[in-house]
Amino acid sequence: MNNGKILAGLDAGHVNSKAIIMRGQEILGYGNVPTGFDVVAGAETALKNALENAGVARGELAGIVATGIFRDMIKVPPLNVRRTVPDYVADAKGALFLNKNSRTVIDIGGNIHKAVHYDQNGNLLDVIQNDKCADGLGIFYTTMAKTLGVSEQELSELALQSTKHVSVAIHCAASAESEAIDLMCQGVDIADVTDAISRFIAERVAAMCTTMPLEKEIVVAGGLAKSKALMKHLPGLLKQDVSVLNLPEYVGAVGAAMSYEGGK
Amino acid sequence: MTKKGSDTIIERFRSITENPQEYAKSLQGKGHLLAGYMCTHVPEEILYAAGIVPVRILSSHVSQAMTRSYIHETYCSFSHDCAYQGLAHHYDFLDLIVTSSSCIHMGEAFNVWVRFAGFQGKSFLIPYPHIIETKPAATFMVESFGEFKRFLETFVKKSITEDDLERAIKVYNHTRRLLKRLWEILKRENPPITGPEVATVTLASQMMDKQECNSLIEQLIQRLEAQPGKGPSGVRLMVTGGACDDLGMFDLIEHLNDNASLIFIDSCTATRYFWFEVPEGRPDKLQAIAEGYISRIPCPAKDNVPGTGEKKRFRFIQQFIEEFKPDGVVFLYQRFCSPQPMDVVALKPTLDKLGIPSTELELDTTLPITQFRTQLEALVEIIKGVTP
Amino acid sequence: MPYSLTTWNEFKNYQNTRYRNYLYASEGLRCMGSTWSVLAPLKGLGEDVYIIGGEPHAASTAGTFPEESREDISAAETGGLGFHSCSYLKLFVGEVIRDRIAIPNKTIKEGYPRPDVIWTTHLCSQHSKWYQEVSRRMGGIPMYPIDMIGGGNAEKDPKIVNYVSDQVEEGIRWLERVTGREFSDELFIKAVRNEIKVLVLWGNICALNRHAPAPLDERRLIALFPPAVVDRTTDEAVQLYEALLQEVRHMVETGQSVVPDQRYRIVYFGIAHTYGHPEMARILRDAGAEIVASVYTFGTCGNFRGIVNGKWSWEPLDPRWVDELDLSTRRKTITELVKIALGWPTWQGVRSYWALEEMARAMVAEYKADGLLLAPSRSCETDFRNGYIAMQRIFKNEIPTVEYDSDQVDVRKMDLPGAQRKTELFVHLMEAHKRRSA
Repeated sequence: MNNGKILAGLDAGHVNSKAIIMRGQEILGYGNVPTGFDVVAGAETALKNALENAGVARGELAGIVATGIFRDMIKVPPLNVRRTVPDYVADAKGALFLNKNSRTVIDIGGNIHKAVHYDQNGNLLDVIQNDKCADGLGIFYTTMAKTLGVSEQELSELALQSTKHVSVAIHCAASAESEAIDLMCQGVDIADVTDAISRFIAERVAAMCTTMPLEKEIVVAGGLAKSKALMKHLPGLLKQDVSVLNLPEYVGAVGAAMSYEGGK
Repeated sequence: MTKKGSDTIIERFRSITENPQEYAKSLQGKGHLLAGYMCTHVPEEILYAAGIVPVRILSSHVSQAMTRSYIHETYCSFSHDCAYQGLAHHYDFLDLIVTSSSCIHMGEAFNVWVRFAGFQGKSFLIPYPHIIETKPAATFMVESFGEFKRFLETFVKKSITEDDLERAIKVYNHTRRLLKRLWEILKRENPPITGPEVATVTLASQMMDKQECNSLIEQLIQRLEAQPGKGPSGVRLMVTGGACDDLGMFDLIEHLNDNASLIFIDSCTATRYFWFEVPEGRPDKLQAIAEGYISRIPCPAKDNVPGTGEKKRFRFIQQFIEEFKPDGVVFLYQRFCSPQPMDVVALKPTLDKLGIPSTELELDTTLPITQFRTQLEALVEIIKGVTP
Repeated sequence: MPYSLTTWNEFKNYQNTRYRNYLYASEGLRCMGSTWSVLAPLKGLGEDVYIIGGEPHAASTAGTFPEESREDISAAETGGLGFHSCSYLKLFVGEVIRDRIAIPNKTIKEGYPRPDVIWTTHLCSQHSKWYQEVSRRMGGIPMYPIDMIGGGNAEKDPKIVNYVSDQVEEGIRWLERVTGREFSDELFIKAVRNEIKVLVLWGNICALNRHAPAPLDERRLIALFPPAVVDRTTDEAVQLYEALLQEVRHMVETGQSVVPDQRYRIVYFGIAHTYGHPEMARILRDAGAEIVASVYTFGTCGNFRGIVNGKWSWEPLDPRWVDELDLSTRRKTITELVKIALGWPTWQGVRSYWALEEMARAMVAEYKADGLLLAPSRSCETDFRNGYIAMQRIFKNEIPTVEYDSDQVDVRKMDLPGAQRKTELFVHLMEAHKRRSA
């Protein structure tokens, strides 16, 4: 589709900005940085890192397509984004590219999570997005890791060692965080608390997903897809098999790059 | 049953609260028909007269998000948890589910069971007044109960006689009197039973065959009369609010750093369930049942006396304060409940005038033990500071 | 060319006059309460009866004075009302606490005029408690809440009709005792006929939106139904709606619309949409997507055929039927009034999930919707919020359906960026659906 052109896809998210460099069907390189408060600078840094990773000079790029929550904000120079696409459109195209058999992608992002249903050409069929109380699952996960003094990967590894089922409040991340700390103060094993945190996220995502039919194959994207602890719970809650995409946090960026020539 | 003291009997009740489905299935195993009910405004006597044992559906106590794609997030946990019971098929064995129109959150939990959990063909919604203290409400209730009775007669394929109803009324009144006696033991300075234990018995009673329940409570009271007190009461705390079926909450009240005693609970999972009687021996049994249910301690969702706009529940609360002499009050209600906070804001000034300190705790599926402990201990500190 | 309604100013003036009357009347009777009650009984007390309704007042204050509204809500919360309580209630009670009231003609008056009576109803579990709180803070105002019960097909259930009618009848006796006024059946009957007529007329106006292009959009519908909510018992209200009906019929005959560019027709289930949500309106407008039917604007003060053979029909009633109603006795008059109120979609849908689902199904079909937009209010336990999440589940397979959380007047509870994103998604889904169907 892209005729050998080198393209960049940018996904300007709430928490992280991701960039990917592609030529045709080949991924040349990628970069992921915290968005911070300067959205444009975050996107610029992500792009720079991705170009370095790909060994491609800026001038070699034929164009940049942006997606993500801040896509419209990063259209400005120096990025000079060629076009923007909504995140669910990018997700559909990116997921299909990464897994040709997929028809539903569940994207668990920093602030928003959604399930996108698409056809064999990546055309949008339906989307469900989280309700307001379920905002911020990714941010919650990151915050809990910091609060517990571990990395996100360590949080997942600890959760996998859990031997006892405990629960945190389910209404929202604020309540969940408060109760997780409460449980720690009561001396509950950190492994069990981290499992409760992981399960909280999986439950909120699964509950949203059941609102629309999930056509197979179902794949998972977003930064949180890398959490093995979370992925341990999700299939059981959905009562469906799911698989994690390669480069799950770059699905949006890939889809953006795939959208260079247009088409919804 | 061998005489092992009251603790054995209390354990039996606690076991029922922890394994309600198991207990309900055992009743079915004995040949009983079962009806799950979600609100205590359901006239259980009519079910009982039909040969159906009413069992209250309470929370799953499972922190789950499944129901969020069926009911809005900002409905109370209790309604979500009860809805979950249906979606998780924990009660598929029930022959019928019934509710009376009351608060909207619980109405929606009921709707979930009917629409999505397979109870479409075995459910009944009893239209029940929302403004109770009127003659038209009484007439309407009698008509509504009459429709319910006719529905049940078709359901069980036999008539419900006046004698059946009178027998049911007597059984239920007996339960109510026994439970009242149990709670009144807590008026004592050194009772042989604790508030959480009484709460356990009361909660279990809502899920039990009342004849079996009555027999157990009679034995319990007999044993208690012969037993010494469990220790002098600490700071006397009364709970008022909404449904709370998490007995851990009441255990927490009695396990603070300072000695505190739970001496009364005004909620539909405790005294509001039974603190009334249905008149016996009346020619019109449905009328009698309506009269009894109208005389209940009102649920905040239905508490507005036309003319004065009075909240009749407050009269009861003041009566309980006089009789049970709490040192402090804990407002305990579900987060997102809409009628409860409307009462709290009006009741607090009354408590202030009576010189009774209070605190407010919002319930969720899980109990934030440390936070609640802090608030409760602060209340006890305040009480110790103000009590002469 | 967008059509400009000629009756627009009269509608605004009517609403403003009602509020000014309540605020500034030097004599007469002030009545407060939910305008989801039946209003005509109050008019049996005389021609100097001035009404303030909780819901329309809170809604119009929030729209006219956003900052003032925020202060009112804060005052209510500081005064002890819960964060999760109804935001209409908090705004209304907040005004009482601050002892100042704002009305849509941009007047802010210090000193809240005390009502003589509260005449209200109990729709949700805290509805009449709203007025218990007002009464408490004002030192005790006589109040009479009517239990409408509600539910699907309620107006056809004699038990329910009698129950509500009995309460109204008793309520009239109470009004006489409390106000010391003699109740005039003549004034009452006239007010009832007007009340029913306005409700039927509004139903007829809404039904014209079944045409393409729909003559009215949601913004106009929201602005045009308040007189029916504020006071639908007057001759003037009848004249207003008769004139509007004629005008909208003319628009249909000549193929005109207030928004001619309508590429997507939307059915909306939620509280007043564009009100306070201009960003969502802009996103829809840019895509040529218009809300042509809304259960709140149609069903809060409008009557339709209702449940017919188990299915809902949004077919309007013939206004001439109202002139032929037998209102020869007080009881007959009460009964007809009660039946019409029980027939409101709102009273039915709030207490009956199956009626709500049937309403949605019928609305989507009759108004030929391209999409269903659901916007439950986080502050309202009814506003059909109790059915919307389930509706999303049911309709998602059938028609592009998106749900976003909103709030009727509390901006803090609105996730504006999230709602905007979901509105964009909604447009996108409708576009994709249309392309596939082509």
